[in-house]
Amino acid sequence: MPNFNITQRPTLFLITVAILLSASHASAQQQVRGFAVDRFYTSAPGGGWLVMDELNMHGSFGGAIALNLGYASNPLRITNGVQSLSVVSHQAIADFGFAFTYDRIRLYLNLATPFAIKGQSGNIANNSYTGPSVDWGSNPDVLLDARVGFDARIFGRPGSPFRLGASAQLFIPSGKPADYETDGTWRGMIRALFAGDVSFWTYAAHIGVHIRPLNEAKIDGAPRGSELLFGVATGPRLWVGRATAIIVGPEIYGETAFKSFFSSPATGLEALMSARIESLGDNRANFRIKLGAGGGLSPYFGAAQWRVVLAVELFGCKDVKH
Amino acid sequence: MIARITPTVVAICILFVSTRANAQAAPPAAHQDVAFDFMNLLSQHGLHDLDDERWNAYGQFTYISSWKLPFHAPYTNANGSINSLLPNYERSFTATFTLFFGAKLWRGGEAYFVPELISERGLSQLRGIGGAIQNFELQKTGSEIPQIYRARLFYRQMIDLGGDHLVGDSNPMQLGRILNRRRLVFTIGNFTVLDVFDHNSVTWDPRQTFFNMAFMTHASWDFAADARGYSVGSAAEFYWDDWALRIGRMAPPQHPNVLPLDFKIWEHYADVIEVEHDHVLFGQPGAVRLLGYRNYEVTGKFADAIAAYKADPKKNAASCTSYNYGSENFSAPDLCWVRKPNAKLGIGINLEQSVARDVGLFARAMYSDGQTEVDAFNSADRDFSFGAVAKGTLWRRPFDVAGVGIGLSWISAIHAQYLNMGGVDGFIGDGHLNQAAEGVFDVFYSVNILKAIWLAADYQFLWNPGFNADRGPVHILGAKIHAEF
Repeated sequence: MPNFNITQRPTLFLITVAILLSASHASAQQQVRGFAVDRFYTSAPGGGWLVMDELNMHGSFGGAIALNLGYASNPLRITNGVQSLSVVSHQAIADFGFAFTYDRIRLYLNLATPFAIKGQSGNIANNSYTGPSVDWGSNPDVLLDARVGFDARIFGRPGSPFRLGASAQLFIPSGKPADYETDGTWRGMIRALFAGDVSFWTYAAHIGVHIRPLNEAKIDGAPRGSELLFGVATGPRLWVGRATAIIVGPEIYGETAFKSFFSSPATGLEALMSARIESLGDNRANFRIKLGAGGGLSPYFGAAQWRVVLAVELFGCKDVKH
Repeated sequence: MIARITPTVVAICILFVSTRANAQAAPPAAHQDVAFDFMNLLSQHGLHDLDDERWNAYGQFTYISSWKLPFHAPYTNANGSINSLLPNYERSFTATFTLFFGAKLWRGGEAYFVPELISERGLSQLRGIGGAIQNFELQKTGSEIPQIYRARLFYRQMIDLGGDHLVGDSNPMQLGRILNRRRLVFTIGNFTVLDVFDHNSVTWDPRQTFFNMAFMTHASWDFAADARGYSVGSAAEFYWDDWALRIGRMAPPQHPNVLPLDFKIWEHYADVIEVEHDHVLFGQPGAVRLLGYRNYEVTGKFADAIAAYKADPKKNAASCTSYNYGSENFSAPDLCWVRKPNAKLGIGINLEQSVARDVGLFARAMYSDGQTEVDAFNSADRDFSFGAVAKGTLWRRPFDVAGVGIGLSWISAIHAQYLNMGGVDGFIGDGHLNQAAEGVFDVFYSVNILKAIWLAADYQFLWNPGFNADRGPVHILGAKIHAEF
């Protein structure tokens, strides 16, 4: 059971001493409160790519369960040209997704739990950063911002050359800003989704708006309000059996703050080389295993220096609607 | 009696042994086939097979409000001690929202993920009551600002060993499937020990029965858990017809009653073993369960704290320099000076017996050694609870539930001496103590609406709060809305 009286006097004492000793330096430093550093927004459960969406929802009632395991190195690295500080140097997250589909629509929930979020503390560029130290022991039950989403395919049939969809997502704040887990505010995304299959070639893309209230323009690496989201993925679909396919291709995605449109400190751009194997033989029970590795083409604004992702999806539907 | 269970023994036992089906930092209730919930809805439309599930998803919402009326108290927080139940009027509440996701991975292998949201306010900041806290949800730390957290994330593997078949109903944290009466079940990951141990099908889910924590499990079972009632560990269960043997090891908190867990599970741990026998008596089902536990955790012994204070009065509660509860009593001993790895032992019995259709009796009793402080649950060292619960079948409201129960708990003599000297543990310590058994009388009635929503009223009469005969009695009124979907 919880106890509300807990005190650790030495810790408080040491913090007080540290604050007093650093007071002369602190006057010029702004303490960064923290924010949601992770900008790897996984595709919806059953979505196909790691970030993009195939828009292949079909059949009558169906669903998907997804597990994404991801590691990011240096997703928040601040530099002033001379020095650099890895405020968030390691980030390992497990993301669980659950989706229900019906015909061409999808409703889903994603919940992510961090295995570790580690970083360095220090002062740089007139800001004072406190690196996070999150692991399962110290924070045994943390969940990052919960994501509730709704996708719909507006135009096109599954497997057709051009499909158009719309997506809306709501992020419910959870976790601590100081641990770079959340902005502490509600956020939302509205996106247009594109996908298609031309012969053995497949592609997907998205463009949208991340409605983000947090604006800390004076802090390097911090959100600067709402952002433009963009991304594209493409690659060949190679059939290795009657119902099993391998898709290999790059995914490039990023975001830029509207208030510093495409300026380098407020733009993140990442590329992942992704490969996935998917079994689509049975509408009732399909699976997909996905692997991605890559890094920041423009390693700012939450784009990791390098990243690896492993994902598993189980999905299916009761029957095909004719 | 309770052997020290080494990691090796646990590993060997796990190889040979394990679940019962549903269980929560209070296990959720089973959903009846006629209930209005999401999975039943899919099943009724031919979109889901409840008897052979590949996945399921359930949810619940519960809001409990408690009103504590003013009560008699000749002293409160005497001499700077801080753990008294305040004698004035107070209101407490909890709101929880939980989702239960389960998926079949392969034959016998299942994974479960349970996110939860909580918002709460305890009476007197959860101080001053020993084993009979008025709302069982308050075992979970939280704040008035809603917090989302991962309650459970675990893997379960069942191995069928034959015997007659049972229908394992689709429920939260249980996929619908046919079970064998002889089977092994292994559970590993993040869950609460109450998911596996100390079930009682009469009191079953506290969200549907008693408000008071005294009826959720043994009040004096200091089971390992973080400040929300969950932990990380493993359990194994072996079912053989009417018998079941369960064994488990869980990680304790890093300090008493905090959220961070101590993952050095080979150094500090909580072991538990339970034997169950199911029976039929006069044509009605019942069960007997014996449970023993041994914790080896960093805690303080009351005798050590008293001795340290007597040897050097500077080692008092107000001058603690390490982890402590914030007492300002300069004339009291404190556990902060003596924490080190200590063992804690306890043994208990859990009885349930149906006496008519949908009418059951229950009783629990446990004796713990009472030498060390509460590490994770509550302050009681011994407990005895009993009562009856009836569904409304008799009066043609089969989803209604009514119950009446009495929960009693005690503390050891050395614990009482420590409190009488002004010491505090995690939850109690008035600065002075007139030792007595703490007790609660709890009666409730829960009205069902639309087969998915329950509105409940509850009255509790609590005497000797904090095991102190000088204070109380206390009248507590409660109301609850509970929905399952």
